[in-house]
Amino acid sequence: MEDLKQLYDAIVEGNANKAKSLTTDALAAGMDPQDILNKYMIPAMDEVGRLFEINEYFVPELLISARAMKSALAILKPRLTATGAKPIGKVAIGTVKGDLHDIGKNLVAAMLEGGGFEIIDLGVDVTPEKFVNAVREKGANIIALSALLTTTMPSMKTTVEGLKEAGVRRQVKVIIGGAPVTQKYADEIGADGYSDNASSAVALARRLVNEPK
Amino acid sequence: MNSRERVDAMLSGQAVDHLPNMPITMMFAADQIGAPYLTYATDYRVLASAQIKTAHQFGIDHVSVISDPAVEASDCGATVQYFPNQPPAIDETKALLGDKKVLNNIARLPGSFGPRMTNRLSGLSELRSQTLGSKYIEGWVEGPCAESADLRGINNLMLDFTDDPAFVRYLFEFVLEMELAFALAQLREGAEIIGIGDAAASLVGPRIYDKFVWSLENRLVDGIHAAGGRVRLHICGNTRRILNGMGRLGCDLVDLDYPAPLSEGRTQMGDQQVLLGNIDPVRVLRDGTPHTVYQAIGECHRQAGERYIVGAGCEVPRDTPHNNLLALAQYAQAH
Repeated sequence: MEDLKQLYDAIVEGNANKAKSLTTDALAAGMDPQDILNKYMIPAMDEVGRLFEINEYFVPELLISARAMKSALAILKPRLTATGAKPIGKVAIGTVKGDLHDIGKNLVAAMLEGGGFEIIDLGVDVTPEKFVNAVREKGANIIALSALLTTTMPSMKTTVEGLKEAGVRRQVKVIIGGAPVTQKYADEIGADGYSDNASSAVALARRLVNEPK
Repeated sequence: MNSRERVDAMLSGQAVDHLPNMPITMMFAADQIGAPYLTYATDYRVLASAQIKTAHQFGIDHVSVISDPAVEASDCGATVQYFPNQPPAIDETKALLGDKKVLNNIARLPGSFGPRMTNRLSGLSELRSQTLGSKYIEGWVEGPCAESADLRGINNLMLDFTDDPAFVRYLFEFVLEMELAFALAQLREGAEIIGIGDAAASLVGPRIYDKFVWSLENRLVDGIHAAGGRVRLHICGNTRRILNGMGRLGCDLVDLDYPAPLSEGRTQMGDQQVLLGNIDPVRVLRDGTPHTVYQAIGECHRQAGERYIVGAGCEVPRDTPHNNLLALAQYAQAH
């Protein structure tokens, strides 16, 4: 069996075509899809996150690596599903009501997906009701809220309140981020966590899914 | 010295009576006259009234027509959502250049402007006639990377750098031509300095900045200088890895956002570069106290040295306590 270090490298370098063909070959050779994911793909995106945090990678590099990861994951997913493998968590992510900015949300979604989470991307201008429905109907166990503007940050509070009113707040962890967002604000609105970048959002989400509800 | 003379002297390398104070105010300014932000962004008379009142009330030495990043994109035909009391925003899901071929259809005559760009030009004329030389007058354009992101969609553009560099160059040339024409028109209407906001440039890192962005920013700066205007460069976000390039642009004023320490700006850009900034607008300016704001801006001044203008790292948040913003003016007036 060919060493799948090449798959790791293809994702880190953002080569989607190579990542796809290597994944296809590895499955054809009988490799365990969970091993491919856990030993090569997730570590590759962890490395991308590390490079991003130390300012060696920037948004373009992160996005092309995430695209390579996604391409390979699309090939892997049917086989993972067939084996009954579960993601480490299910994240419903969106930019809050009134806010149309999505680059930050997309970066976090890409890194979380690369980190082994299933992503339910609700898009931009997302109402609290949509987040509630993602918990009720799709089983999200993390809600990730993004806002770029100080004027739309109150929608984060409204969303947390909406989750409480719908009786689903205890079923989920709520994480928030965005340029004007602070840990202080997260504490004020009763969010479970705050992250100031896409890479550390993965570590935060991993920690929270392992905490008792 | 009046405000205008003070800013002019600082930018000319001459002695000043005290430091100028030039924070960016938009939503905060609109709130000072009780105007919904939609009217501030779309009616130059409201903007001018709010800017002048805010400048006088808070000891700010300039007035500006900056309102939101969607002005040029809107006039190019982009889908923009307007909200009653927050900045207009471009709907990226319907990005004007989602299909790259559309770029061939939006070619416009340099010097012909749509309603939002015309409104900005009228704002400058209004500010000039109302301030009568007492305040420094600032125009504003989007930088090449930011405006390209506004038109193409920022997510698309970030991938285009790798997937289709020829298209990026073509798009950047289109944007440069439009922005330079817009900047020159603003100078004709009374702007003395043109702010170039190139927020997306902080996302791309030094390799792409040097390869794609810098030369276009440089041509924009040179074009404004050739017409007799001055340039304020503001790139939102973390610019630490591109500070050297920003310094080589020859801007009259580099306004750093808070993630890039002014000490690094000074090291990378040399002793003569006038720097502005750069306290964290949320954690320090809005959430602090007058005392902590004063202390923090003092540290910025210490790092930047003499060639320095007081300001926050980015826009003053709308709910900033008045005494916190006044602390900037108090520091400036005492130094």
